[in-house]
Amino acid sequence: MLIAGGGPVGLTVAALLARHGVRCLLAEADASWCEGSRAICVSRRSQEILGWVGADRPLTAKGLAWTGGTSYFRDAEVLHFEMPSEPSERFAPMVNIQQYYVEEYAHAAALRSGIVDVRRPVRAIAIRPQPSVVEVDLRWQDGAIRTVRADWLVACDGGRSTVREQLGLELEGTQYEGRYVIVDIRQDTRRAVERLAWFDPPSNPGSTILMHRQPDNVWRIDYQVADHEDSVEAVKPENVLSRVQAHLEMIGETAPWAPLWISMYNAKCLTLPSYRSGRVLFAGDAAHLVPIFGVRGLNSGLDDAGNLAWKLALVQQRLAGDALLDSYSSERVLAARENIAFGAKSTEFMAPPHHGFALMRDAALRLAPAAPLVRSLINPRQSCPVEYTGSPLNQPECSAGFGGGARAGMPAPEAKIRACHGETHLTALFGASFVLLYFADDSVLPPCLQNVALALRPGVGGLRPIRVASRGSADADTVLDELGQAWKRYGAAQGTVYLIRPDGYVMGRWRDLAGAPADFGAALQRALRGGQS
Amino acid sequence: MNEAELETIYTALAECIARVGEAKASLLLATLALDLLSREPDAGYALELILQAERLTAA
Repeated sequence: MLIAGGGPVGLTVAALLARHGVRCLLAEADASWCEGSRAICVSRRSQEILGWVGADRPLTAKGLAWTGGTSYFRDAEVLHFEMPSEPSERFAPMVNIQQYYVEEYAHAAALRSGIVDVRRPVRAIAIRPQPSVVEVDLRWQDGAIRTVRADWLVACDGGRSTVREQLGLELEGTQYEGRYVIVDIRQDTRRAVERLAWFDPPSNPGSTILMHRQPDNVWRIDYQVADHEDSVEAVKPENVLSRVQAHLEMIGETAPWAPLWISMYNAKCLTLPSYRSGRVLFAGDAAHLVPIFGVRGLNSGLDDAGNLAWKLALVQQRLAGDALLDSYSSERVLAARENIAFGAKSTEFMAPPHHGFALMRDAALRLAPAAPLVRSLINPRQSCPVEYTGSPLNQPECSAGFGGGARAGMPAPEAKIRACHGETHLTALFGASFVLLYFADDSVLPPCLQNVALALRPGVGGLRPIRVASRGSADADTVLDELGQAWKRYGAAQGTVYLIRPDGYVMGRWRDLAGAPADFGAALQRALRGGQS
Repeated sequence: MNEAELETIYTALAECIARVGEAKASLLLATLALDLLSREPDAGYALELILQAERLTAA
């Protein structure tokens, strides 16, 4: 297994594959972590994925959690939003942290496995797909070129992917003209952590400014540059720092500060039409580029990693047919298209592409204080997990219905529960294997579910039955739904069964055991061998 | 109208303004506003909305 690219997505793919017992070589062209803070907002879903390899602990310890934001038009507040959040949750809806820390934590997780070999600076320079192998020429730091023959190549080599170029594949979609300067500065502050946005602020009339706090007393400041400004001039410190100073003064942040990093960005809505090309799989920015607004870049890349790793591990271990990898492509291309649609909406508000959008935004911002109904237009539509509608893995649902809960293809709902070792969350049980959640207050698992546990192997191809009881006590196979969150969020009744994929998505659900497969293990194997059970 | 529908309307109007061009945008929006206001049963409220829009535009 060869991974090209050691950014946050490549390193996470490596760590996840290793967790499933797959040995990999990772080649990263740069000598060290990324320069600058880059992607700084890590979603709840991304925290769950990083949690499968233990990278959540340093991330949440170092990162700054936040739950909402405030937007201003000139000097008046026009929107305050809160993302869904509750005291019993496992992870905050969003954590701010510099991308290089995410890379460091994913790298440490990969190395802990003992079966990931990270080499840098090593660049993949030529890719030759063969029928049963991929030949890749790697150029080492000393200039030596070595050819690696890999069963599979995962391309996580970023927006200017060499692998993509080598295979002659092109991203499809559109780019927006509006440009933003991105600046990191170091400054002490006591301001609450939230997403801050100013439209047409007195400090920088006509511009739009975003601010996010990061660890180590760092502010991320993004501001839009006017259409007539030259890109080279716009990122020169003498042009950037006066604007930053004016804005810090306006908001009363008076502590001394120093710039750390300056970059420029324009919104792109681009994706490959397929993320599989024979034995080459694409993930992260190598597969798709989405607008910065709504923080879907890194977060969708980590979702790619979470979707791909278990499938690739099963195929590599010959527990599934390679058609399973086509479902990686179809599910994640669908997700990219949805992320692009939301990202485009956000971009049309944050960087209006023409006079029509500029006029409408001006109207919405002016109207917002007087007309609460239009305030939702200002909301930044933050990243959230995408439903895999129509996935070939989704098991058909019996018409005798669920009133609520999550259907096949949706992320499995979170719930705080009690396990035998203490309080935990349902999502903490996902990530290692398939899971059968059996909602019942009977004290034992029915024989058909016990047999599943015995029949199947350990590891990512295994199927772990867990009884979710509303009363009684927790044990090795039983968790207790003390707060009633699980039963409610899964729309469960006595005997309801959910089949959860190793990436925490619902694969199928049954109102009761009578309507469920007689042999879950066999049904699962049929689904993984290709086609539905 | 839910939030997603409002967003669709917002985008449709923005694209429509771009299609007619800046010179005719005022006429487009006056036509639309007159149509919407003529459906408002309370004339006093319609006048309030006009004055509110004037205040918000002047700021």
